[in-house]
Amino acid sequence: MSDNPPKTRVVVLGGGTAGWMSAAALAKLLGPLVSVTLVESEDIGIVGVGEATLPHIRGFVERLGIDEATFMQATHATYKLGIDFRDFGRLGERYVHPFGTFGEEVAGVPFHHYWLELQRQGLAQEIGAYSLAVAASLADKFQLPTADAALTSTYGYAYQFDATLFGPFLREHATGTLGVERLEGKVIEARQDPESGDVTTLVLESGQEIEGDLFVDCSGFHSLLLGGTLGEEWEDWSQWLPNDRAAALPCAFVRDEIEAYTRCIGMPAGWRWRIPLQHRVGNGYVFASQFISEDEACSVIKAAVEGEPLAEPRVLRFRTGRRKASWRKNVIGVGLSSGFLEPLESTSIYLSQMAITYLIELFPQAGRIDPRDRDEFNRLVDLEYDRVRDFLILHFHATTRNDSEYWNYLRTMPVPDSLAEKMALWREAGRVEKYSDGLFYDASWIAVYIGQGVLPERHDTRAQLPDPDQIARAMKGLRAAIESEVAAMPGHRAFLAANAQRLATAP
Amino acid sequence: MSQARELPTRIVVAGDGPLGVLASIALKRALPRAELIVIAIPPDPAAFAERVGTALPFTNRLHDQLGIAEDDLVRKAGASHRLVTRYFGGGGPGQQGAAGYGAAIDPAMRTAFSREWGGGPRNSETGPPPRSLGEVLAAAGRFAPPSGEADSPLAELDYALRWNVPAYRAMLIEIAQGLGVRHERARITGTLPDGSGGLAALVMEGGVQLAADLYVDCGGSGAVLLSELRENRWIDWRAAFPARGLAIGALAGPMVALEDRASWTALGWRWELAGRDGRQDFLAVPDGATDEVIVGALGSEPATIVRFAPGRQEAAWVGNVVGLGSAVAELEPLGGIAQDLAHRQLALLLELLPGRAIDPAERAEFNRRSAMMADRAADWLAAHYASPAPTAQFPTLALSSELFRTLDQFTRRGRLPFAEEAPMLTQEFGALLQAVGVPQGEGPMGAAGEGSGKAAARAFEARATAALQAAPPYGEWLKRLLSS
Repeated sequence: MSDNPPKTRVVVLGGGTAGWMSAAALAKLLGPLVSVTLVESEDIGIVGVGEATLPHIRGFVERLGIDEATFMQATHATYKLGIDFRDFGRLGERYVHPFGTFGEEVAGVPFHHYWLELQRQGLAQEIGAYSLAVAASLADKFQLPTADAALTSTYGYAYQFDATLFGPFLREHATGTLGVERLEGKVIEARQDPESGDVTTLVLESGQEIEGDLFVDCSGFHSLLLGGTLGEEWEDWSQWLPNDRAAALPCAFVRDEIEAYTRCIGMPAGWRWRIPLQHRVGNGYVFASQFISEDEACSVIKAAVEGEPLAEPRVLRFRTGRRKASWRKNVIGVGLSSGFLEPLESTSIYLSQMAITYLIELFPQAGRIDPRDRDEFNRLVDLEYDRVRDFLILHFHATTRNDSEYWNYLRTMPVPDSLAEKMALWREAGRVEKYSDGLFYDASWIAVYIGQGVLPERHDTRAQLPDPDQIARAMKGLRAAIESEVAAMPGHRAFLAANAQRLATAP
Repeated sequence: MSQARELPTRIVVAGDGPLGVLASIALKRALPRAELIVIAIPPDPAAFAERVGTALPFTNRLHDQLGIAEDDLVRKAGASHRLVTRYFGGGGPGQQGAAGYGAAIDPAMRTAFSREWGGGPRNSETGPPPRSLGEVLAAAGRFAPPSGEADSPLAELDYALRWNVPAYRAMLIEIAQGLGVRHERARITGTLPDGSGGLAALVMEGGVQLAADLYVDCGGSGAVLLSELRENRWIDWRAAFPARGLAIGALAGPMVALEDRASWTALGWRWELAGRDGRQDFLAVPDGATDEVIVGALGSEPATIVRFAPGRQEAAWVGNVVGLGSAVAELEPLGGIAQDLAHRQLALLLELLPGRAIDPAERAEFNRRSAMMADRAADWLAAHYASPAPTAQFPTLALSSELFRTLDQFTRRGRLPFAEEAPMLTQEFGALLQAVGVPQGEGPMGAAGEGSGKAAARAFEARATAALQAAPPYGEWLKRLLSS
């Protein structure tokens, strides 16, 4: 006799990146407990510009049982070791925020204190010189990191890929291997239970009705169920993150080598990205419409790109902030329907992945949603959003740029208290506020602080204890070791070519 | 341009118990050019932390960082190793379970190996199966510390140390003296404020003033220095804990064991701390317990009963005075948690070590994290009182919102939310909850078959077998070390 409880019927609304990530993950990890149906409409289309990712995506893809090479081939992916920021802290300045660390702590004192001490004495190179990830990025080299304790283990990597291909690739896997049911159609109505207010049924234009127990809203900024049907309030963060448009423009390659990093270049009313994929280079101008018009921004990006444009610029509109709660009643917002920060630092796909992970951890048991689990989900999602938000604001606020209204606004705006406190601790004492839950840790904060010229007034007293020559020699040794590792690495394109199963067939 | 802060020239540690001496070693090692003075304080009758010779695995890392070798602790301070604490009766009569250390605790805690291997040597009816290498080794009485090689079968093993308190203190004093730490025996008769919320100097017996850049209060629950400063709000934990006193048994005969035991009694947890130089029993005692009941629960006439009021100072660092240990937090020392907290706070002070002048933002960061450490330590302890038997006896104990959430998630879903600055890894905390008898729910991943695979079970079995082969009987290992 079988006493299996009935399966929880999960309906995912929206077939973009967040939708297919949700559907595939739920089907893979909760297989016997759920039936997953995804509703998408080709009329609506997807945003799909999130071309750069964070290292966490690797674990996600692996957990779904997808081979890395197959995934890279399908999405025309290249490797990413970090982000090259230009013209952020000051015009003409540049730094790399690596997926990796700088140096090593000595006697319990973090590396950057010694670096600050040597720099004071004029004996240090830029801090990036002491990071293997930065050095490899700047040399256009790539090699997989090792898992031991060696220098070659001090970095991670992510991918730069064609996001419009990622969703369809996951769709193939989800419908083919994982048993997700896909329905095509436009939702015209969401019916609710008159008593509980829970969503019970989606009605399609065709008249088809889809019943469900749990609805994952991946309808993008429309937020059809969470924002629309349930009216969950939006918390607006545009006073800190004013960018609200992106003009995307794919281009042909102009050089042979593929950069293993994403470029982010500060512009008069925003910033632009340059993301090299296997077959083309993605470009886009992220801007604040209160400081520049869409037409102007399109002209600017067309003039700024290096390669032959492969299309006309496409303008996407967004807003920064998040829903007060991402899980309300039986609707969970994943992706843009729940919130969006800003494309800088490529956190969008990560935030979807994070929400999916927590949803699986807190998935309703025996088909019943416990409000305590919903509260816990919302607590965790908020914590992640808040911490990422502060880190992003830092990039715009920690600047000396005064060449445009845009930068003047960002430089002088009041920031959230939580960020002001972090910056005060750094400025006074060269310390990074510690947390272990969340996305960006010490090395990231240090990279941006120092990279954008926010140097502390004082650093750790112990950095002056060793003989300065001794520290200088140790730093030189580290630099030499990094140089020799980089020299031994193949070029990024050569690495891809040597692992040809990762390469897309010629388009 | 960033400047290195001026080095502190003199640091005074008030309190020459083990914590004060350890703090002076830590600070002297960090700042070899600073003058370190440890001031003797008359023994605090309530300083039970000083009488409890054990902590948690974190302390091993701190000792290591400070150049206090574990082998020396074994040779000179009677140190022995604890792999697990076995709890009896938290889940009701007959219930028992062992809580170990390290990341290698089977997170699902129900692998085939666990199910089939049975309940250890004692009571296969009620004892849950082993879920960590530590538990397997403790049951077999075998142990050797991990060699440090990544692929060693014992690499995932973690443990806590116990030691003989007077011998430990003597060993620390020897190290401190070797480093040039000065011991001051004159009494503190007063303090002079510095006008900005801290101290300008201590007034010593005979009228001599002793000025310092930084003062560290290791003076026990009297908080000899902190108590001189502006009123520091005391956060009262009495609603969360029944114990108002600790009955300490007379030192019993030597006991070499890899596990300690804690049993639920009519009054609270009785804890037996094994030791090569003698076993010591402790009993948490609520108000109003009669001598007869105390003797019954402890199992012997107590040598002493120390009274205390659980709680913590709102700020551990005020002005230029940093408090550590009982000076800033009072809690039952069960399982070594009170010492663990003191040692974590000391490590935090090393991490955020100030210069001669103190940066307010840095001090605020210390207080933020130190408070979280204390609160999570209190949660760890309160979890001992959250299982069925203690709850039946003390039904109205308050839970912090963090512990409430953890218990709710654990009992309904088997899930453990991450907590910043917690004294243990989440899987270690899970093992503790199980061992004290908190019922564990099952999450959807478990129900969906994730993590219960036969492969995981076989892997654990293989690791356990390899660990048993790699570790000699504990007595043999000790003998070998002591004769080397």
